[in-house]
Formats: sequence, C-alpha cells, structure tokens
Amino acid sequence: MKKNRNITFLRIFVFASFLLLWQVAADKQWIDSFYFSSPLLLYQQFIHDMTDMSLFRHCFFTLSEFFISFILIIGGSIFLAALFWFFQTLGKVMEPFLIILNSLPKSALAPLIIVWLGTGIKPIILCGISVGIFGSVLHFYQSFCNTDPERIKLIRTLGGNKVHIFTKVVFPGNIPLILSMSKVNIGLALVGVIIGEFLAGRQGIGYLIIYSSQTFKMTIMIMSICILCLLSALLYLVVNQVERFILNKKY
Amino acid sequence: MVTFEHVSFSYNEEGKEAQIIDDLNFRIKKGSFTALIGPSGCGKSTILSLICGFYKPKKGSIFLDSDLQGTGKIGYMLQNDHLLEWRTIFKNILLGLEIQKKKTKETLQYAHSLLSKYGLREYENAKPSALSGGMRQRAALIRTLVLQPSLLLLDEPFSALDYQTRLHVSSDIYHIIKEEEKTAILVTHDIAEAVALADTIIVLTKSPCTVKEIIPIKFEQNGITREAVRSTPLFQYYFDLVWEALQNEKE
Repeated sequence: MKKNRNITFLRIFVFASFLLLWQVAADKQWIDSFYFSSPLLLYQQFIHDMTDMSLFRHCFFTLSEFFISFILIIGGSIFLAALFWFFQTLGKVMEPFLIILNSLPKSALAPLIIVWLGTGIKPIILCGISVGIFGSVLHFYQSFCNTDPERIKLIRTLGGNKVHIFTKVVFPGNIPLILSMSKVNIGLALVGVIIGEFLAGRQGIGYLIIYSSQTFKMTIMIMSICILCLLSALLYLVVNQVERFILNKKY
Repeated sequence: MVTFEHVSFSYNEEGKEAQIIDDLNFRIKKGSFTALIGPSGCGKSTILSLICGFYKPKKGSIFLDSDLQGTGKIGYMLQNDHLLEWRTIFKNILLGLEIQKKKTKETLQYAHSLLSKYGLREYENAKPSALSGGMRQRAALIRTLVLQPSLLLLDEPFSALDYQTRLHVSSDIYHIIKEEEKTAILVTHDIAEAVALADTIIVLTKSPCTVKEIIPIKFEQNGITREAVRSTPLFQYYFDLVWEALQNEKE
C-alpha cells in the first residue's frame, strides 16, 4: 500500500518537474516558445478555447466519430467472426485476406477512402473502422475456432445445435477477449479517426492539429495533442471499469 | 435397453480408412451398471458416441429401447465436469433444460430438489471455482440427471480427480445412479473402479475393438455391499479375471 502511494507520488513528481522545467526553459529562452510553447501558454489557450466553446465542439466531434467507429469495430468484428465460425469454409477462404489487410498500414487506405467518400463524417468513421476491424475479426474468429472441443461436445450431449454451441459456450467464453480487444481498439479507433480528420475533417481534434501545424500555431497543436492524450486515457479508464465490472460479475 | 449387433465403425483419416470397431455385439439390460474396459485408444468413447447418435455405424445395427428415443433421454457425462465458469452452479445445472426448452416450474423444482438431495443447495449461487473437484463432478452429474435421462453414459468421469477424491466421488455417483434407478454405461481404464461399481464388465480388445469377454459381477448376490467390496477376496478375484482378459490387449 505504502509502495503504491510512493509510486503515485513519484509519478506526480516526475510530471510536475517536467512541466516546471519546460516553463523555466521557455522563460529563460533556452527553448523557443514559438516552436515549443510552454505550460502557461497552453493553459491560457485552453481557457480561451473553453470560454468560446470551440474546444468543446472539436472534442464533441472527435468523440462522436470515435464512438461510432468503436462500436462498429466491436459489433462488426463479432458479427463477421461469428459468420465465419458458423460457415467455416467461408472463414477459411477469408482468413488470408484478413491477414493481409491486417498487416497493411491502415493510413495507406485513408486517402483512398477520402477519394471514394469525399469529406464529412462518413470517411472519417470508415478510417476509424479500417484501423481496428481486420485485426479484431481475425482475433475473434481464431479464438472462436479454438473453443475447447470438449465443451462443444458437452452442448451436443445436452441436445444442443450449432446455435446453442455459439450462444452457450463460444460467445460467453470469449467475453474476456472481447473486453481486452475493446481496450486495444480504443487506441486504434482514435488513430483512425484522427487520420480521417487530418485528411477530410472540418472539425475535431485531428482537424485542429493539422490546421494549427499549417498556420504555425504550435500552442494550439500541442494543446490538441495533450487533449487527445487525456481523452484516450479517459476512454481507456471507462472501458477498464466496464471490463472489471463484467468480469467480477460474471467470472 | 441397448443392443449392438455386428456393429463396425471406421472413419477416414488422411485418405485412409481407419477401422475403430469391428463386429461388436453386446446387450445392456435396463437398470444395470455396465463398465466398458479396454486399452486406451481402443474405441471405448466411440461406442458411447455411437449410442448417442453422434456417429452412425458403417455396418450392423444399434437397437435402443423406445424410452431412449427423443432428445434428452440419453445423458452423457464427460471426462471433465466442464462447468461453465461464467455461470453459477444452478445456471450450469439448467444448461440442458435451457437448450431443450424444458425450463418449467416443475423442472426447476426438480433441479432444486436434486441440489438439496446431493448436498449442493448452499452452493447454487456459487461459481464453479468455489467448489471442490468432487462437488464439481456431482454438479455435472446433476446437470445430466435434471433432464431425467433413462440411460447415463459416463465417459471416464473420474479420471481428472486425484485418487482419494476419485474413490469418494465414484462411490457417491454410484449411489446417486442407483437411487435414481438409472441404467449406466461407464467407460474406464481403471480395473478396480470397474469392479467396484459395475454389475457387468465388458472387456474390449485393442483397436479395432470387439468384445473380448463379458464378466458378470456378483457382490450383492454374495451378500457383500458395494461400500465393502474393495476389501473382499471376491474383489481381487474379479480384478484378476479382468486383468487376465486384458493381458494380451496392450496398446
């Protein structure tokens, strides 16, 4: 307990020291605050953007796009993996394609998606989905196929069919994997959404980053990156709590 | 109750026909406890799968009494308990009823009565991890019994337990089966277990398996109760008889 407290204290100390050193370096002009900004400038920018609500608007757009992408990644992956499990020939046919698509750097797909779908929310969501979905389908499908054959036999001995095998053993047995993949997909969906906003956004944190880099407003850019860090940490914490709740209740 | 007449079974393994069972003949009487014993890999579990209808014989016929027709009439107990860790003990017990859509007020009452009768009532809301190996095996048997099968197939159900637990659990399960007046077929490697529990032992040859010898076990007729059999000379006599029959049937 005491060791944990010390570690938390050390973490805060390291972070505070970093901020202090950054501010001192900017004040003493060891670094150029035009390029590197400073914690104080970030704070002033943050208050300004919060007051005029623009930051809220950008965060709202990014989060909306993220949630839609995230839900579609998880829902779509479970649906496709289940489909491939039910129709195993289809699964075997699709597996190498999924492996290739999963190993492809997804940012390479983004320009293509923008050309196909133009600007707006649709291409951004598709970018978000494209980053996470192939890996998730592959993981879920392989894990569904690795269900203990004795458990499958158990359902058959109780008079069950393939639907029972899926609903009673395969799906519930994979809930821990689905939850841990959800945590991985928070980061991936956010990456996809930001790439989409870089290329096709008119609003959102990704748009803010690309806009500020083009206009050399480095304070806005660094603040956007910090907000992105906070958002992803917050989302991770939410999913972590959901995971703990479900696992404690069910397992 | 179950009659095998000239049953042969084979399956295709990498283009080759592997003969598992060859001209198998035996009859299981209603209310009896029969043990199938033979070298490992000889096809004992395949015989149970044939009775269950998971496989069809290539030659010969299997006759089942009319009270074994229809789903849920044959109960199957596997090597491990396979209690699903995300379900409580009570929900695990209801698994077969849910699958066969037989969850009614009466069957739920019956499930409760079985739990009370066999000392698991206070664990009905516990997760399987809270139970000992023996209790888990009893829960697995109740999961099978709650469907009110006329025939119970026991596929080495005690092999995953340590020796002492195994002695207790096998004795418990023997008494439950006799009390519920079920017919049972036990697959085992363990000669002592077969002699201690069965009314009839069918010794099988190595693969492709056929009946080597059918040995009737008569303890009760000699005034010996099942609890006391292991310390009697008759037990050693039957043990030697089975051992002798198995001598030339090494894997």
